[in-house]
Amino acid sequence: MSTLPSAIVNQDEQYLVDNARRRKQLSIWFYFLCVAIALISVVILVVLMVSIWSQGQSRLTTDLLTRAHSELEIERSGMWPAILGSLFVCGTCALVALPLGVGTAVFLEEFKPTQKVLRWIHGFVQLNIANLAGVPSIVYGLLGLTVFVYMFNVFGQIRVNESAGMEIMGYKHFYQVLTLEPGHVVFAPQTDPTVRQITFDEPFQAVDPDGNPIEISIWTPGTPKPTDPEIRRRTVRSGAIGGTITERNWYYFRLPFDKSFLSGGLTLALVILPIIIIAAQESLRGVPSSLREASMGLGATTWQTVRDVSLPAALPGIMTGSILAMGRAIGEAAPILVVMGAAVAKSSGPQHLMDDAVTMPVLIFNWAGRQQDEFKELSAAAIIVLLVILLLLNSTAIYIRQKVQKAQS
Amino acid sequence: MFFQINSRSTPLTGKHTIGCIALASSLLIGLSGCGSKSDAPTSTESAAESGSTAAVSNLTGTIKINGSSTVQPIANAVKEEFAKLYPNVNVSVDGKGTGNGFKMFWDKETDISDASRPIKPGEFETCKDNGVEFIEIPVAYDGLTIVVHPKNDWVKSLTIDQLKKIFVAGDAAKQWSDVDPSWPEEKIEIFSPGTGSGTYDYFREVVIGKSEASLRNDMNLNEDDNVLVNGVAGNPYAIGFFGVAYYEESKDKLKAVEIVNPKDDKAYLPTPENIASGAYAPFSRPLFIYVSTASLPRAEIATFVSYFLENAPQLCERVGYVRLPDEIMQRAAKNLDEENTGTHYVDGEGNSRSGAVADIYQPENLTK
Repeated sequence: MSTLPSAIVNQDEQYLVDNARRRKQLSIWFYFLCVAIALISVVILVVLMVSIWSQGQSRLTTDLLTRAHSELEIERSGMWPAILGSLFVCGTCALVALPLGVGTAVFLEEFKPTQKVLRWIHGFVQLNIANLAGVPSIVYGLLGLTVFVYMFNVFGQIRVNESAGMEIMGYKHFYQVLTLEPGHVVFAPQTDPTVRQITFDEPFQAVDPDGNPIEISIWTPGTPKPTDPEIRRRTVRSGAIGGTITERNWYYFRLPFDKSFLSGGLTLALVILPIIIIAAQESLRGVPSSLREASMGLGATTWQTVRDVSLPAALPGIMTGSILAMGRAIGEAAPILVVMGAAVAKSSGPQHLMDDAVTMPVLIFNWAGRQQDEFKELSAAAIIVLLVILLLLNSTAIYIRQKVQKAQS
Repeated sequence: MFFQINSRSTPLTGKHTIGCIALASSLLIGLSGCGSKSDAPTSTESAAESGSTAAVSNLTGTIKINGSSTVQPIANAVKEEFAKLYPNVNVSVDGKGTGNGFKMFWDKETDISDASRPIKPGEFETCKDNGVEFIEIPVAYDGLTIVVHPKNDWVKSLTIDQLKKIFVAGDAAKQWSDVDPSWPEEKIEIFSPGTGSGTYDYFREVVIGKSEASLRNDMNLNEDDNVLVNGVAGNPYAIGFFGVAYYEESKDKLKAVEIVNPKDDKAYLPTPENIASGAYAPFSRPLFIYVSTASLPRAEIATFVSYFLENAPQLCERVGYVRLPDEIMQRAAKNLDEENTGTHYVDGEGNSRSGAVADIYQPENLTK
C-alpha cells in the first residue's frame, strides 16, 4: 500500500480523473508514434519507387524487353538475355533448394532422434543452420567459386587450347579450319580429344553442317589458286591449322561446372537454403501435435504422417518462406558476380547447361556504373522490370498457395 | 479415420508434385529451345539472306576475354559488330580488372586479356613461367582527367610537382594554401578510383614514378566513377581524377584542370586532339589487348583479333575513347601478322619502361 500515491489511497476524485486523462493522452501519442514509425518505411519505399519511375519510365520500351545490351546503340539496349538468365539461374536454384530445404526441415522437426549421440548431431545441424542464415552472400559466392566453378580442380582445369575439364555428355569435337574462301570454314571430326590442334598437309574428309562427308583438297602456295568460290570453299591452304571447337547439345555436361548458370544457381541455392529450412521448420512446428498424434495413434508410420498430415498442413507456410527466399535469390548480385562474372554483353540466354549467363541484378549493377546518362536511365528501367517480374513470380506463388489452402480446408 | 486423412490430403500432394514437374519441364524446354542455336557447325542459310556487303560466315567457336573494365566497352563494341558478320562465334567479354585479367590469362583461362595499363615486369615473368606467350596490341587512348569543382577559380593548371604535393603521402598538402600560398586556406578533399583499378595504378606511376613512395591514404577511394564525379561536383575544394570518357559525360558539373607538359612547359587540356598528339602528357594512357599466341592458330581468334585491330580506331571513338595514330596501329598489325611476341614495356633487365606509346611501342623495344 505504501508504494501507491496518497491521492489514490485517499480516493481523491479530481486526481483520479486527471490521471486517467493523462494516461489516455499518452496512449494516443504512442499510437501516433507507432503510425509515424510504420509510415517511415512506406515513405522511403514510395520515394524510391517514384525516383526510379521518373528516371526509368522513358526507357520502358519493347527494345528493353526484347534486345540485348548494346555498346554502340545505347538507346536501343535491352535486357532480354538477362531476364532469361535470371529465370534459368533462379529455376536451378529453386529446383535444388526447395527439395533440400524442405527435406532438411522435415528431418529436423519430424524425425527427432532419441539416442544421445544422434540428438547431439541433430542439435549440431540445427545450430549450424541458424548460423548459416547469417552468413553474408558474398561468402557463399567465394564458396561457390571453389566448389562449383573449380571443384577443387579434382576433375582437371578448364583451360583454353588445353583442356575442357572432364566432359561427360552432349558434346562433339571438330577441328575448324579456314578455307581459301574468306570467312568460310570446314569442320573435320576429331578422333583424339587430347590433340587440340592439327595441321592439314594432305586432302582430308570434312563434314558439312548436316554431317555429310565432303572431300577437302589442299592448295600449296606457288601452285595455281582455284578461283571458283565453290572449289575455294572445299580447299584448304597447305599447313593450315585446325583448332578444336565443340558442338554442344543442350544437355552438355562436364565437370567442373566453370562459370556457368548452373554454378550460379547452385550457389544461390546455398544462399537461400537456410532461409527455406528455417521457414519450413517454423511452419512444421505450427502444425498441432494432436494431428500427428492422431495419425500415429491410427498406426501410421512417421513417414506416412509426414507425407499425409504434417507436410500438407504446413505447406502454406513453407510456400510463403520459399517465395521470400526466391525473391532474395532473384535480386542477389554479389555471389553471382563472383561466380559467373560480369559478361553483360551476352546476346542470348544460356544455350546449354554449361553456358554462362547474365542476370538482371548484374546487368543493373553494370549499367548503373556507366558514365552515359542513357545507361543510368536504362538501369532504372531495368529495376522496374525486375520488380515487375518479382511481383509476377510472387503473385503466381501466392495464387498457388491460396489454391492449396482452399483445397485443404 | 486414417483413410479419411489420407484421401483428404492426396490431391494436395498430387498438385504439389505436378507443380514441381511443370517447373522442371519448363526449365528443360526453355533450355532445349535455346539449344538449337548452339555455337556449333550450324547451317549457312543465314548467309544467303544477308543483304549486306559481306556474306555471313559459318565460322564458329568460343572466345574468352577478361580484364580491364575500362577496355570492356571497346571489346563489347567490337564484339557487337563482329557478331553481325560472324553470328555463330560466341565472344564472352568480362571485366574483372587489369590485374585479375592477367591472372586468368597466365592461368590459361582466357584467350585475350584487356588491360588499361601495360603489363608489369612481375606479370610478364609469371606469364613466361607458365609458358604463356602473347602479342601486345594497343587499341586506344584514354586520357586521365584531373577535375575540380566549377567554382574553383584559383586552379587553372597544375604541374607534376604540384600534383605530387597534393597526392603523395608523407608531407602532403592539407590545405590548398600549402600548394600555393595565394590559394585559399581550405582543406583539400580528394576523390580517387580504388586501389585495384588500372586508373589508380597509372596515376600513381605518373605522379610517383618508380620510387617507394605511395599515394596518400586519406583520399576518398571508390570503384564507381559516378561517385567520384558527384563527390567532386559537391565540394568547391575537392579534386579528383578518372578516365576522360567520364569527364565528357559530366562536363557541366566539373572543370578539367590543364596539365603542364614537362617537355615544353605549356599547359594542355585533355581534349581528344591534345591526347592524340601526345601534348596532353603524361596523363594520356594507351589501352591494350594481350592475345595469347597459343589461341591464335584457331580460326575464330585469328579472325576476331584482326577484326579488332582494323576496327578499334572507329569503334573506340564511338564509346568515348581517343583513337591511336595510324602509325601505331600499323606497327601493331605488323606484330600480329609476324607473331612478334612479348612486351614493349619491360626491358631486358626486367625493369618497366614508361613514356609515350609512340616512343615505346617500337620494334627495337620488344622483349620476349
